[in-house]
Amino acid sequence: MFNKTITVLIFLIPAFVLQAQKKPGFSVSGTMGVSYEGYGLDRNPSGWTGYSPRKPWNQVRFNFMPNFQFGKNFSLPFNINLAALPTNFAGPYSGYIPGGPKQSFKQWIANPVNNIAVNPKYKWAELQLGTQYLRYSELSTGDIGVFGAGFDLKPRQYRIKFFMGTSQPGINYFAGPPTITGAFKRSNWMFQIGKEKEGKYDVAFNFAKGKDFITSAAPPPLTIKPQEGFVTSLVTNIFFNKGWYLKLEGAQSIFTKDLTTSSTLLIKSFEPFIKAHTSTIRDYAGSGAIGKKGKNFDIGISSKYFGAGFQTVGYPYLQPDRLDYTVNTKWNTWKNKMNIVASLGQRVNNISNTTLRAKQLIGNLNWFTQFNDKWSLNVNYNNFGFQSASGINPYGIKNVSNDLGISPTYTWSNSKMSNLLSFSYNYSKYNERDVLTGLTTSNNTHTALLTYVPSYFTKDITPDFSAMYFYNDVPLAKTKLATISSGLSMPVAKKKVQLRGQLQYNLVQLNAYKGDNNFIASCSVDWKITKQFSWNTYLSTNYFKYGNSIVPNGANYLESICRTGFQYKFDSKKLK
Amino acid sequence: MKQLITILCFVFVIQSLTAQLNVNLSLSGRPPATLTEWGNRKDVLTLIIGPAQSQAADVKIKTSVKTLDGTIIGSTNLNTARIFTPQPGASTILNASDVLPLENIVFTGKYQSALIRTGKLPADNYMLCVQLVRATDYAPVSAEVCKTFYLAAYQLPILTQPANEQELNSKLAQSAITFRWTPVVPSSPTPVTYRLRVFEILEAQHDVQALRSNQPLLDKNILGTTQFIWQPQMSMMPYTIADSAQKNKVSGKKFIWTIQTLDNLGQPLNQTDGNGESLSEPKVFYVTDKKTKE
Repeated sequence: MFNKTITVLIFLIPAFVLQAQKKPGFSVSGTMGVSYEGYGLDRNPSGWTGYSPRKPWNQVRFNFMPNFQFGKNFSLPFNINLAALPTNFAGPYSGYIPGGPKQSFKQWIANPVNNIAVNPKYKWAELQLGTQYLRYSELSTGDIGVFGAGFDLKPRQYRIKFFMGTSQPGINYFAGPPTITGAFKRSNWMFQIGKEKEGKYDVAFNFAKGKDFITSAAPPPLTIKPQEGFVTSLVTNIFFNKGWYLKLEGAQSIFTKDLTTSSTLLIKSFEPFIKAHTSTIRDYAGSGAIGKKGKNFDIGISSKYFGAGFQTVGYPYLQPDRLDYTVNTKWNTWKNKMNIVASLGQRVNNISNTTLRAKQLIGNLNWFTQFNDKWSLNVNYNNFGFQSASGINPYGIKNVSNDLGISPTYTWSNSKMSNLLSFSYNYSKYNERDVLTGLTTSNNTHTALLTYVPSYFTKDITPDFSAMYFYNDVPLAKTKLATISSGLSMPVAKKKVQLRGQLQYNLVQLNAYKGDNNFIASCSVDWKITKQFSWNTYLSTNYFKYGNSIVPNGANYLESICRTGFQYKFDSKKLK
Repeated sequence: MKQLITILCFVFVIQSLTAQLNVNLSLSGRPPATLTEWGNRKDVLTLIIGPAQSQAADVKIKTSVKTLDGTIIGSTNLNTARIFTPQPGASTILNASDVLPLENIVFTGKYQSALIRTGKLPADNYMLCVQLVRATDYAPVSAEVCKTFYLAAYQLPILTQPANEQELNSKLAQSAITFRWTPVVPSSPTPVTYRLRVFEILEAQHDVQALRSNQPLLDKNILGTTQFIWQPQMSMMPYTIADSAQKNKVSGKKFIWTIQTLDNLGQPLNQTDGNGESLSEPKVFYVTDKKTKE
């Protein structure tokens, strides 16, 4: 599949570009560019490793995303994003980082850090080649990129989609360092058939499957098992008059958690799609929403259910075994000067009773009022509670979080400038109960932020100033953080260059220790060399010096980032 | 005399055949909730069959899973069970895949349906009983030995703050961002470590693509507690159009974060569910600057 797809891509690109130049009615839009990012970290004293690098030392990225339009009916969009170095820290490629083993070509091309795709489209028929992130529905497939080939057809009101390929090649486990987690080669296919009347309804059946190849990694991953999963779903969305809508989806998954387990007749297979093993599970999921959307008033109720055994290769990080239901509303009133957004919901975990039942209450309220031309006020409140049974511990888990934020804003102006003064205060209280002692610890946070933004009517400079105070109090640790920052934005060189700069100073104090000092300076220079061609540069430096809260006392580091890149914006008029 | 010797030999042979074999069952008090995982871990279950007294005899293992009141909820189908032959002078050591072969254990009612749906039994205390029976007529050749165990699947943390798709003020976020999540349920007998990772989603990247391919800006191990205040020490400039790969156009930066739950040995706590990495369902948040909305 890899080789075939690559061959098709290699021949398609130049063929279509050559074809394009000959034909009238040709246009091109989109962008292409190259950027370099350099990262530096200097830690003192020498040998101290208390702060880890958080970016690759050097990285070069290419992007090529033009959309060639041939007449009215044919388009050829490319989506090519490549990185010179792999930087995988989570997921199947975890461990491919600079300094580690080299990737094979197949691994490189399917690595999620790279993306090579082209989607030629003629009228209602689209061919999908390369890495595609296809979202068929919420319960079937949508979160993973698959390298392969497929199509998306929309004849009249019918919808037919199919795609097959590889979402990950086999990756051998490597003890390292750096450790490579490894992965089994996984092949995927997905299919959708449905009908849609735009703005009225859509209905579709989805089928998606993924299967690992047991012998594709040697040595195999230590903690990951070869799996196989198949999911079917029926999704429908109906849009009624006056903004009413109804959205429903039901799905069933059959998933083998470990293909090395024995096959069994005790569990029903679903052949030819999937054969049962002792680790095969079969469960259901459903989601539904009903509501009304209007100009000044929205209301909706939504619910999701995931059975404990519901698992799909299209959403590898989905957490099953839960029931969520939420009521949302949005309300504009007082001549649109008052805006209220609120939601209230509950999440019940462990519907299957295979673990301890836990309940989670979630409530949010955001209330904005524009009293007059000068004054406005925003109030928000969030409540979150989580509770579970005790199990074998003396006490159950009980965590409750309450957050209240109040933000008044005052604006005034004269003939030369307008001014904005904004204050924001947030109080957060988070209680956690210890399951062994039953004691509740309280975690309190106060945050205050004052911002001043003057805007000059006759000058191009736009400065801003802000001061922040943050205080967090938990048993045995009190953290104070004071920040002052200022920013400036202005165009220069006949507005061809846009400059932005920012300075920030933080003072951090833990308990009675001597404070830590932090200074951050950053700037960006965006130079529009021509209408199509721009050069963007960003520089940032972060100096942090600890007081005596850690050993060695006075440890410090200097972190710097330099990013620069050229971007070309395709403009069809220039090519005509 | 010949008759006496013959009778003695016959009695000896009969006694040898019906002799009790010693069995020693060792079972973790809190084994993995997913039953198929028992076979992958040598530390979960060990059955030692003492040496046969004289000659080798074929036996089968009759395994029963019971609730604490003694109700049998699952037992071996002896007709299709595997035959073992304990050898004289040598112990036979077996593990979970031999003692609890799921392809051969028939569960009852709701337990069977729970197993088919989830691969797990309902959370509760159970008893595992093992007895050796003769392969031919299933007559017991050992005493029944039982061990109790507690079964409850781990439910990984759910990320709560920042909420999914929440927009944070860049002035506040540049100084401190508070992350909160629910604890792993039920509480682990050994301390768990929550590995918090935050990834920037670059332009033209999809959310999960960024998680799987970028170096995390924050990678922090947090022991036990379910809150962390991150001081990013970074400018949120340059302000770019985040989420350009998708429909939502937001001026600012977009991040994806997740928690990986690790046991006291630093290994993923729950290797059988979902992705096998014990990664909680990731959430995204934005850091936005209203002034620079493009």
